[in-house]
Amino acid sequence: MRFRHLLFIPLFCVTLWGQDPGLNDTFLQAKALWATQGDREGATARFDSVVATLAPRAAGLGPEWIQMLCESYNWLAVLDDRSAQNKPRTQVRLQALLDLNPDFELDRALTSQRLLTLYDRMKGEKYALVKLSYSPEGGRLLVDGKPNPPVTRKFLPFGTHKLTYSRPGHATSDVILELAPHDVKSTDFKLTRTASTITLYVQPSDIEILLDGQSLGFATGKAGPEAASLAIPPGLRPEELSGPFVIPQLTPGKHRLELRASCFRSKVLELGAEFATPPADHTLEPIRMDPSKGTLSVSSPWPGGELFLSGQSRGPLPVANLPVCSGPYDLLVRFPVGAFFRRIDVEEGKTLNLEVQPKPRLAFLGLEGGDFTGRARFLAQLESLGDRLQQLTFLPAHAGEPAAEALARLKASRETELVLIARPVPDAVTHRVELIVATLDGEEESLVLKPLEQDPLGSLAARLNDVPPIQQPGLGFSVLDIPGESGPWVLAASEPAVKAGLQVGRPILQVQGKSILSAQELQNLLESSKEPVSIRQADGTTVLPVQTESLEIPLGSKGLCYPAVLAHLRLQYAGAKGDKANLIKLNMALVLMQFRKYDKAIELLRDARLSASSGVSQGTIDYHTGFCFLHLGTTYQTEAMQAFGQALKYPQSTLLGPEGPLVAPLAKQALADLK
Amino acid sequence: MFVLSSWLRPPAALLCVLPALAQTQPPDGDLAERLYRSGERAYATKAYKEALDTWGQLLQTYPRSEFAPVALLRLARHQVEIEHKPDAAMPYLDRLRNDYIKSPEAADGLLLRGVLLKRQARRPAELKDAMAEFNRVIDLFPNDPACAEACLHLGQAWRDQGQWSRALQQFINAFRLHSGSAVAPRAMLEAAETLDLMDDLPGCLRMLQRLRTESPQSPEAQEAVWRMAVRVKQRLQKPPLRNEGPWPSGRTKWLKTPTLLAIAPDGDLLIFQKDLDRAFRLHGGELLQQGPPAPGSLVLLTDSAGAVWMLSKNGLVRENTALPQPLGTLGAISGAALDHWGDLWVADSRTPAITVFTREGESRSLASPTVNALAPLPTGGVVVASDADRKLLFLDAEGQPRIVVPYGKDLPGPFRKVIALASDGVGQVAALVDGADFGQGLVIFGPDGAVLRQATFKTLGINGNITSLALDRSGGVILCDRRNDLLIRLN
Repeated sequence: MRFRHLLFIPLFCVTLWGQDPGLNDTFLQAKALWATQGDREGATARFDSVVATLAPRAAGLGPEWIQMLCESYNWLAVLDDRSAQNKPRTQVRLQALLDLNPDFELDRALTSQRLLTLYDRMKGEKYALVKLSYSPEGGRLLVDGKPNPPVTRKFLPFGTHKLTYSRPGHATSDVILELAPHDVKSTDFKLTRTASTITLYVQPSDIEILLDGQSLGFATGKAGPEAASLAIPPGLRPEELSGPFVIPQLTPGKHRLELRASCFRSKVLELGAEFATPPADHTLEPIRMDPSKGTLSVSSPWPGGELFLSGQSRGPLPVANLPVCSGPYDLLVRFPVGAFFRRIDVEEGKTLNLEVQPKPRLAFLGLEGGDFTGRARFLAQLESLGDRLQQLTFLPAHAGEPAAEALARLKASRETELVLIARPVPDAVTHRVELIVATLDGEEESLVLKPLEQDPLGSLAARLNDVPPIQQPGLGFSVLDIPGESGPWVLAASEPAVKAGLQVGRPILQVQGKSILSAQELQNLLESSKEPVSIRQADGTTVLPVQTESLEIPLGSKGLCYPAVLAHLRLQYAGAKGDKANLIKLNMALVLMQFRKYDKAIELLRDARLSASSGVSQGTIDYHTGFCFLHLGTTYQTEAMQAFGQALKYPQSTLLGPEGPLVAPLAKQALADLK
Repeated sequence: MFVLSSWLRPPAALLCVLPALAQTQPPDGDLAERLYRSGERAYATKAYKEALDTWGQLLQTYPRSEFAPVALLRLARHQVEIEHKPDAAMPYLDRLRNDYIKSPEAADGLLLRGVLLKRQARRPAELKDAMAEFNRVIDLFPNDPACAEACLHLGQAWRDQGQWSRALQQFINAFRLHSGSAVAPRAMLEAAETLDLMDDLPGCLRMLQRLRTESPQSPEAQEAVWRMAVRVKQRLQKPPLRNEGPWPSGRTKWLKTPTLLAIAPDGDLLIFQKDLDRAFRLHGGELLQQGPPAPGSLVLLTDSAGAVWMLSKNGLVRENTALPQPLGTLGAISGAALDHWGDLWVADSRTPAITVFTREGESRSLASPTVNALAPLPTGGVVVASDADRKLLFLDAEGQPRIVVPYGKDLPGPFRKVIALASDGVGQVAALVDGADFGQGLVIFGPDGAVLRQATFKTLGINGNITSLALDRSGGVILCDRRNDLLIRLN
């Protein structure tokens, strides 16, 4: 309710500002109508219009508007005084004027002596005159705690008043006045200097000022004409400078002045001790801030990306050589599916090039349920989970949004691939929390953990970061680690490898000139090789190209989060073609089989075709198809038999990977069982 | 004593009761949990009786509590693991299956029930009930960790029934659908062995390599090392046999008439020394006495736990039995083997049959020619040598011959008799042969009966009295020379 009222204040100001030219015109027209044409009624109507607009808002008006309102009262008093019909209202106008500003002096050229006398008499009935002098001038006057212009004459209501005069670098002076009718009192403010002051003008405005590391505020606004003498020598216009920023109390000694703003290089000024001692007012030469920018280039092989820097759209990818202010940013690229997020730091004068690819998004929907011990700490850990995820883009929960609503919103917008919900396990006392990671299609996994343990989210983060590969490099042969042999022993090799000279039944002594002692070492070396690899055996060296071998993802592993694995596969599928796309389909089907969604798995498998006939290949797909049909019950027995029969056509097809068990004996047995 | 007046008594009584009324009674669930935890604490301090009583009270008072099935499972496990009374565990497991099939503990309960039934089985047909329980676990609890173990046990049951393909399916499911599970290494090892039984040696070797890569620290990976090495050496590399001389470390005259050799499950060599009438274990270069004295032992073997069994015409002497156990009328024992049911197959050189003794002491005869030597096979059957028929017979678990190898087949010349047979646990069989054109020597056969390696003692430069042999885990052959009181290693 209160907030709603507060909204009206800026609304009113905007409205008044919008009316400004019209109201000012009305005011000028009113003066002209009577002065040049003698149209008293016309003038009165317009002054009344001005008063009607401004008077109800008098408490919140600026000095110009107060002045206009005072003048309007003055004019109306004069006009009413000249009209027999309106004469009784004259005193009302003057009273209103006094209530508004007792320091206002009636226009003597306009106002009759009689009215002047009446006005003085009315003023004398409520106000006493205080004459003021200031040394030094240019300070700030408070009357009963409210700011007032430091004028030399001031009418104040009878009674006790506290007047305070202050100026940077000086001790503040307070005076208490007792005012009675007919009093005329004088007050001389003489301030004692206590410290030096520094006045700054900065170009541009909105620069943070720090003294000895402590922020003093921002240099804002625009300088007035009084800064012309400072602005012109360095070739600036006064309005290009900020308003004066005064450092009021410079303590003795040296100081470090720092000016900071985003998009500008920070400036540091060392202020010598002479600035502080002896105390004096110092005005520094205008400080010009130098822009600090870098450039950012973001591209992606994936289509449809849009770049956002700290929440602001910077357009579709690719973005090349985008000038950006130096500093830290939250870089987000939204893709039609998935997103890429990274916290970047753009350095001045440097170019940051990024090639991004989408990662699945994990939207945190919040921690449900009531309070429990450690809730706040646990929630904070959940909210910062994104810092620990390398393979997912974390989307924090919307404050105050219930999980169910968030889920409905995300399902409608498809702005995420995964959701994370946390809910306490309903025990008498909450000691366990269930975390559910799910796709928007409902494939979900849950994990129960104890919120008070050392790192409750450690295992979840590890699982979310583990993305199993679906391909690995290979050379077309298989090796064994045989004790007593001088290297991995070649068990079998593909025809091209044998033709290239590889000897089956012999150990491998060196690969790329390095001694290799085990099959694992060989695989590790291949992971980093893209060029053809030289293999040395006892009788010679063979050069073999590095091939890509297909893999199946491991199922039922506690180290993997299968909804996340599925989301990764779906994302990869969006940018894949040919055999790679079909291999992804096969693996997506495997994950769906893990979730017992055999019907959905079949949909994927029946469209998948792999050109290879050995290793994870077409026979593998056919075997899994049969396996899925088998799980759908006896209705699909015929289809299952067909699929297993197809699998038998690929005797070299394997499960798991190129070294996995052959599909054929399993398919044969399955077929026999069905028959 | 201060006594309240009668009109003050009702309000006073109310005041006394109020705190009790204010303290709400804990719900049944809380009390059931407290009882369960109380039993758990007692169990942890080995106050078993108190724990069992507490859980019993829980079952009686709160049979519908979620802790009731947990208590039942704990009671059953106690009977199996502590009391070693599997029969006493069955009523708890039956109740768990009948009344709490939807509880999370039901999976473990069914699995345990299946395992106990499997242990009770004495022949393939008796595995049916156990297999039904394993299938229940797989069908009802596909995501439960118990499922992987159920697949493994089901695979073993199929294997014990001689259904290699079905066994392989289950072993593969155990590690493929439950990767990283505790039983995955065992399942891979079993799958590898099954692949070998199915004549897929490359598949077997790849599986063993996978096991070593994925679970390098597991005991199964250590098993895989020698199983792989032996297969590669004997079946793929097949280097000519070479005499390495006295073994170990050139030691000579260090034994007292060694006559029998065997390999223990951990790979140690067992030696029976006739002059000492005892068996010894060669461990780390030291001889350790093993088992009781057994004069006149004709066969030396070990069971799956590593305990030594010695057979003589007096009967069977086992490590933990004081007196020899009679073996019927068998007086000329020529070989013996234990199958994985625990049955003892005994051959007698004067009887044209193989006698099988069950764990309970019952015996039955299997038709066979007269057997001069016998060794176990990983298929569950045995290999026998019949000098009368001049054939080697590879028998299956039912005693039916699957492979017949005539003496001298694929050799430069025939031999007349087989002195001893030894197998290595992965299908290779070594025969100590003598006579005819081939003469005294050694032949190593593959699981299919094919000759893998062979040599005569003449070519090897051996002239002792070799009475027994063993295949070691590096692909070598240890020979027992009773005349020279030493061992010889061929590589």
